[in-house]
Amino acid sequence: MRKFKIAIYCGEIPPPTFIDRLINGLAEQGSKLIIIGNLTQKVSYEFNNIKIVGYSGKINKFFILMYYSLLLSLFRRKEKTQLKNWMKLNNKNNTISKIRYYPILYDKPDVFHLQWIKGIEDWVWVRDFDIKLIVSLRGAHINYTPICEPKYAEIYKKYFPLVDGFHGVSNEIIQEATKYNAEISKSNTVYSGLDLNYLTFNQQKPTNEVFQILSVGRSHWIKGYTVALDAMRILKNNNVKFHYTIVGVGQNEELQFQRKQLDLINEVEFVEKLPFDKIISKIQQSDVVLLPSFKEGIANVILESMALGTPVISTDCGGINEVVNDNENGFIVPIRNPEVMAIALQKVANLDESTYVKIINNARNSIENNHTESKMIQDMMLLYKKSYGE
Amino acid sequence: MANKPKIGLVLANVPAYSETFFNSKIKGLQENGFDVILFSSSKSKVSHPTCKTIFAPNFDLRFSLIFEFIFIFINCLKNLKATYKLLKLNRKDGLSVKSSIKNIFINSHFLPYKLSWLHFGFGTMALQSENVAKAIGSKMAVSFRGFDLYIYPAKFPNCYQLLFSKNVIYHVLSDEMKNTLIEYGVSAESINKITPAINVDFFQPSIKYETKNSVFQFITIGRLHWKKGLEYTLEAFSILKKQNIPFHYTIIGEGIEREKLMFAVHQLNLHSNVTFVGKISHNDVKNILEKSDFYIQYSIQEGFCNAVLEAQAIGLLCIVSDADGLSENVLHEKTGWVVPKRNPPLLAERIVKTIALSEAEKIKIRENAMDRVKREFNLTKQMELFKAFYSF
Repeated sequence: MRKFKIAIYCGEIPPPTFIDRLINGLAEQGSKLIIIGNLTQKVSYEFNNIKIVGYSGKINKFFILMYYSLLLSLFRRKEKTQLKNWMKLNNKNNTISKIRYYPILYDKPDVFHLQWIKGIEDWVWVRDFDIKLIVSLRGAHINYTPICEPKYAEIYKKYFPLVDGFHGVSNEIIQEATKYNAEISKSNTVYSGLDLNYLTFNQQKPTNEVFQILSVGRSHWIKGYTVALDAMRILKNNNVKFHYTIVGVGQNEELQFQRKQLDLINEVEFVEKLPFDKIISKIQQSDVVLLPSFKEGIANVILESMALGTPVISTDCGGINEVVNDNENGFIVPIRNPEVMAIALQKVANLDESTYVKIINNARNSIENNHTESKMIQDMMLLYKKSYGE
Repeated sequence: MANKPKIGLVLANVPAYSETFFNSKIKGLQENGFDVILFSSSKSKVSHPTCKTIFAPNFDLRFSLIFEFIFIFINCLKNLKATYKLLKLNRKDGLSVKSSIKNIFINSHFLPYKLSWLHFGFGTMALQSENVAKAIGSKMAVSFRGFDLYIYPAKFPNCYQLLFSKNVIYHVLSDEMKNTLIEYGVSAESINKITPAINVDFFQPSIKYETKNSVFQFITIGRLHWKKGLEYTLEAFSILKKQNIPFHYTIIGEGIEREKLMFAVHQLNLHSNVTFVGKISHNDVKNILEKSDFYIQYSIQEGFCNAVLEAQAIGLLCIVSDADGLSENVLHEKTGWVVPKRNPPLLAERIVKTIALSEAEKIKIRENAMDRVKREFNLTKQMELFKAFYSF
């Protein structure tokens, strides 16, 4: 298998878990990696073919700038001038751009993989230096940024034709990107891959006194928690005994008010963001995981729940129906519809044993077939190769 | 005049030109022989054009902090009696010596004033100042306006426990709010309802009110804030769209929820039916209201809502939610329609029914609403009630 030199730009280091899995997987398979971003916390990887260029603090940034500036002047003088000209032409002739750009220019990877497309404007220059530009379409940045901030629609339309390869987390998100001139022929769906050795499947139903419902996600309107709370009120009207936990919202005035107004203080709990292992155990202890979102790429919490053996209910909010088939390996409800959501929750609460076992086994199989780490790495390599016409 | 009754009005910010409620209240009180002093915690320290403005100490300033402390210290020394009384009252409430002194610092700007009333303009403004009025020997009044009674305690339960144990006269905007206070254990006699009022001379229809448009024109005025329930409103309109009813919905106002609402418009396929207008002047508001057929205020939480009063005065048919004061603002099936909150299908149903009413039925509701607003919600009546409030 061809080995690539891949630069991954993810804004912040350490990157989120799902990008970390990609980094480790690519490194394990033998690719050389350069991870670049703003260093917020010290990181270490077990593979020595991963190079980290993390900048933080004035002194550290100064050092990185001097080091790479010198190296470029010594060994890649012409290219440095060429990049500087581009920077001047595009109003990017500033220190922070130099700190981000110089290490990439010096290391000259085969592939530059941008994780968050909002920054695409900053990175199109890599193509002038025979570096393939690959971008990930992960969710928010394509699903609602260009709708709510129309200037991004224009930026995407201008720069997407220059991209060498699009990675979509779902087929649906690639379709969405075609609205902004993304070419289908340059796009591959690479489903998120999980470490299934870590996420052990449990067929046993948890023994909870009341029906335990769990949602996990950041405190953002796109997550549709207001709809979920309206659904909880319907459950309460129907005398269902339940407890609903939302992990990741903490203090949110709107949700706190809604909980009080709907008289759900005893039934609904808001929990601050938790580390990954704590989330896993929360999922294991829950009777159902609910995703009430308005729009998602593919929510990782749904994949993780399916792997662990907890039934899922998700809104039809984007790519999720590529993973969840209603009544087969989980349940799908329409977006913005608390009535149907409440019906689905009651249905899961009353599942008979054989249906329960069937659903969660199907769910685990779906994940094993399509969402393993090795498949993700293999598919990503195919995308990189495709950008080289291989 | 030496013995004009003095009212100290406590607000977060000095009311800007557009905040008609406080400005008209201040003007009305001054015209009626009251002396008004404004206490503000604004950091910008821009005084009100017509009344004396006192600013709370600002502890954020790192460099002039020492001057701030010297000033506070002198203030306390000059008003030893009030300072000592405040200390004693704080200690009686169980505050530690340190917290009591801190409390005196925070409230030091009140100490030099001899007032008939110290009136906190919002419930939240009275927090940590529960003992000040008594310490300076004035009566204490607190206004509740909506968010301070309904939203703030959702975040901080029991925040008003201390306040409610004090001898305070309350001003609320609606019977609903009065009932809420009674549920908290406040005695009914100490609660006065004075509803908001509008300038009924300004908000008068200059053209004949009738359903004017073949594409029904709906309008809402308000900040783009979640409490306004605009997402539920948009969901109701998506039901109308599916029924092929021709309509256009205009939202006037700015705010932090714009992104969420724009996405909802996109997802509910309402691009061609919804316009966000942003913030506009009073005159323009009146013009747009006059061109509309229906006014919608499907809020989740609402103290009373002046915009609904203005819309009724102009002759619009109003459909509102049952949030807090709204069902007193609009009387169901008499001056408009009240729909249970957070229920888009019910709102859509009500809109469809209203559209289908005969012109005679519509005119009846319009006239009822215009009459009632003119009679009940005018500034003169409101000022009489405030005068009575302060003569308590």
